[in-house]
Amino acid sequence: MSTTLERPALATPRKVTPAKDSRTLLKSQVRTGWALLAPALLHSGVFIVIPVIAVLVLSLTDYSFGDTWAWVGFGNYADLFRDVDFQASLWHTVLYAIVVIPISMAIALAVAVGLNQKIRGLTFFRTAYYIPTVTATVAVATIWLWIYNPGSGLANGFLSLFGFAPNRWLADPATALPSLMVVGIWQGLGTKVIIYLAALQTVSRDLLESADLDGAGRWQKFANVTWPAIGPVQFFVLITSIVGTFQVFDLVYVMTQGGPGSETRVLVMDIYQNAFQDLKLGYASAETVIMMIVIALFIGVGRLLQKADAND
Amino acid sequence: MRRGVGLTLLAAALSVVVSSCGNGVIDKSTDGVPPAEATGTLRVLLPSFPPSTKGKEEFQKVVDDFHKTYPKMKVEPDFATYKNLNEKMSTSIAAGIPYDVMVTGVGWVQPFASKNIFEDLGKYGVTPDVIKEKSTPALIPAVTYDKKLYAYPLIADARAVALRKSAFREAGLDPDKPPTSLAEIKVAAEKLTKRDKDGNITRSGFDLASATGFRQSFVTFLASTGTPLYVGGEPNFDNKAGLDTLLWIKSMINNVQPYGQTNAAQQPLVLTGEAAMGIVNGGVDCSADGIGQKNCDDLKFFRFNSGKEIEYVGGDLASIGSRSRHKDAAWAFIQTLTQPTTLDAIAKLNKKVPAYKDASNSPQAKSNPLSQFVADGLVYAVNENEVPSNWLEMRGNFDIQLTQAVLGQKDPAKVLHNLAGQSR
Repeated sequence: MSTTLERPALATPRKVTPAKDSRTLLKSQVRTGWALLAPALLHSGVFIVIPVIAVLVLSLTDYSFGDTWAWVGFGNYADLFRDVDFQASLWHTVLYAIVVIPISMAIALAVAVGLNQKIRGLTFFRTAYYIPTVTATVAVATIWLWIYNPGSGLANGFLSLFGFAPNRWLADPATALPSLMVVGIWQGLGTKVIIYLAALQTVSRDLLESADLDGAGRWQKFANVTWPAIGPVQFFVLITSIVGTFQVFDLVYVMTQGGPGSETRVLVMDIYQNAFQDLKLGYASAETVIMMIVIALFIGVGRLLQKADAND
Repeated sequence: MRRGVGLTLLAAALSVVVSSCGNGVIDKSTDGVPPAEATGTLRVLLPSFPPSTKGKEEFQKVVDDFHKTYPKMKVEPDFATYKNLNEKMSTSIAAGIPYDVMVTGVGWVQPFASKNIFEDLGKYGVTPDVIKEKSTPALIPAVTYDKKLYAYPLIADARAVALRKSAFREAGLDPDKPPTSLAEIKVAAEKLTKRDKDGNITRSGFDLASATGFRQSFVTFLASTGTPLYVGGEPNFDNKAGLDTLLWIKSMINNVQPYGQTNAAQQPLVLTGEAAMGIVNGGVDCSADGIGQKNCDDLKFFRFNSGKEIEYVGGDLASIGSRSRHKDAAWAFIQTLTQPTTLDAIAKLNKKVPAYKDASNSPQAKSNPLSQFVADGLVYAVNENEVPSNWLEMRGNFDIQLTQAVLGQKDPAKVLHNLAGQSR
C-alpha cells in the first residue's frame, strides 16, 4: 500500500518538471530559431529591404551623382508618364512578357510531357533542352546575332531554301522585337522543362490508372488528372517567368542595344540607360518603383487566374 | 550571458559588413605632401589604351615615368571603352571610390563639370592660351564649361571622307573631283551603288558610318552647311538647315546604303571595299597586316563642304576627379600622359592623331596617308560644339529619335523640334 501511495506523489512533481523543461526548451528553440534566421534576415535587410527603401527615397529626388540634389516629390513620376521612351519601354516589356510567357510555358509543358515518356535517348534530350539555360546569355546572344545576320546568317540561309527574300531581322523595326522574343522563348525553355518534368513525375499513378480503368483517353487524362495535379507548379513557373521576362536586359543589351530606334527598348534597358548612361539616378529609381508595381500587378493577375483555374 | 554573446557576435558581423562597405578603401589625401613621400593608389579611368598586351605595355611606360616623380604611389588603371565609360564613372561615385584621373570624350566635360565631378584645371595653370600653344585649339570648346577648362586633350579623333578611285572610274566619275556637298554626294552615291537582280544593295554608294545611330553623322553633315549643332549651349538645329540635313540622311538610307550596315571588324566600309565612298576615321594601316598598299593606293581622301569645309574632330580628354584625394598626383599623371612620346603611342594604338601643336609632323601622321590628311585638316575641326549640360541624356535621345525619323517612324521636323525642346 505504501508503495501505491508513494507513486502518485512522485508522479506529480515528474509531470511538473517536464513542463518546466519544455518551457525552457521552447525559449532556447526560439533563440536557436532566431540565430539560424539571423543570416537570412541580415541578408534580406542589407540586400532587399535597404535597397528597396533607398530606391523609394531616391525616386523622390533629382540625384544624378553630383554634389547637390533636391527633393522633387512625385516630379519624376509625373515626368515618366510624359516620357515617350519610358512609354515605349513599358509597352515593349509588357508585349514581350505577354508573348513569351504563355508560348514558352506551353512549349515547355509539351516538351516535358514528351520527355516524361519512356523514349530512347531521354538523357540526351533532357540535357539538350537544359543547355541553353546554363549557357551565358552573352554567348547565346552572340550565336543568335550570327543566326540573324542578314548577309550570312542561318535564318536567311534556311528561308532562302524555300524562296523567301532575305530579312534584316534585328535591323528591321517590324521584326526586331519578335526576333528577340524567339530567343527569349528558346533560352527560357530548359528551366521550365525541368520543373514541369519534376511535377509530371509526382502525378499520382493511382489516379492515372483509375482514369485508364474508366476508359479516359490521353487528352481526358491530361485535362482531368495531370493538369490539376501540376497546378501549383504552373503557378510557380508563371511567377518566375513574369519576373524573368520583366527583367530581360542582357539579351537586348548584347543583340540590339534597344534599337532600331527604340523598337526593342525594354524597361530594365531604359532604367540602365537613365541611371548609368544619362546619370539620372532619381529618375531611374522612380522607373524601378513603377516596374515593381507592374510586376506585382501581373503576379496578382496570375494569382487570380490560378484561383479561377483551381475552382474550376 | 548567452544573449550578450549573441548580440556581440551580431554587432561584430555588422561592423565587418559596414567597414567593408565603408570608407576603408579610401586613401588619406596626398595633396600638399612632397611627391617622393606620397603614398596611396591613383585610380585612372581611360579608354585611350586598349586592354591588349601592347596597350598595357604602353600604359606601363607611362606609369614608370610617373613613378620617377611619385615613386610610392600605386597606379590602378581601368581600361574602359567609350561604351561603358559612364557606367564606370557613375558606379565609382556611387561606391564612394571615385577615379582620380578620368579620360572622356567630346560632350562629356560639360555635363560632368556642371555636376562638379571634374576639377577646374585653371588651378594647374591650364588656360585656353596654353591649349592653343601646346595642344589642339579646335578642342578648346570641348574642354570648356562656364569659361573654365576642365580637361586636357590627349588625342584628336578626326574623321574625313574617302572614295575608291576604281569605283569612281567604273561609274564614269572623276576621282580627282570628289563630290563634297551633300547634294553632289547623293548624286554620286546613287551612281556608285550596286544591286543584285532582286534590288538588294551589294555595294553601298556611301557609308554614313551610322550603324548604331545618326548623331555624329548628323552633326557632321549639319556643320558642313555652316550650322553648328549648339551655340552657347542653345540648340541650333531646329531650323531649315537641320531639317534639310535630316531629310538628306533619310533619302540616303536604304537608297545608297542599307540601314544598320556594318562589318564584323567594325571597320569603315570604304576601306574594306563594301562601300564606294564613305566616312573614315583617323588612320589606315596600309601594310600587309592592314588593308594592303594596293587598297591604300585606291583611296582618295577629302572633306565635306556644303558651304563650309569641315572635319569632324572628337578626342580623348583627360580630367581630374573633383573628389580625388590625390589631385596633385593626378595632375602629375596627366602631365606624364601628355608627353609627346606618350601621345604618339596613344595615337598609334587608336589610329588617331596626337593632340599636340604640330600633329601634322607627328610619327602617326607620317605613318599613313589618312592620318596625314586628317592631321592637316584639324584647322577645319567641328564637333557638337558648346553642348548643353544634359548632353549625356541628349546623346541617347539623338541616336534614338534621328533613327526613328530616318526610318520613317516619326516626322523629321517634329523630331528636331522635340530634341531642341529636350536640350537644356
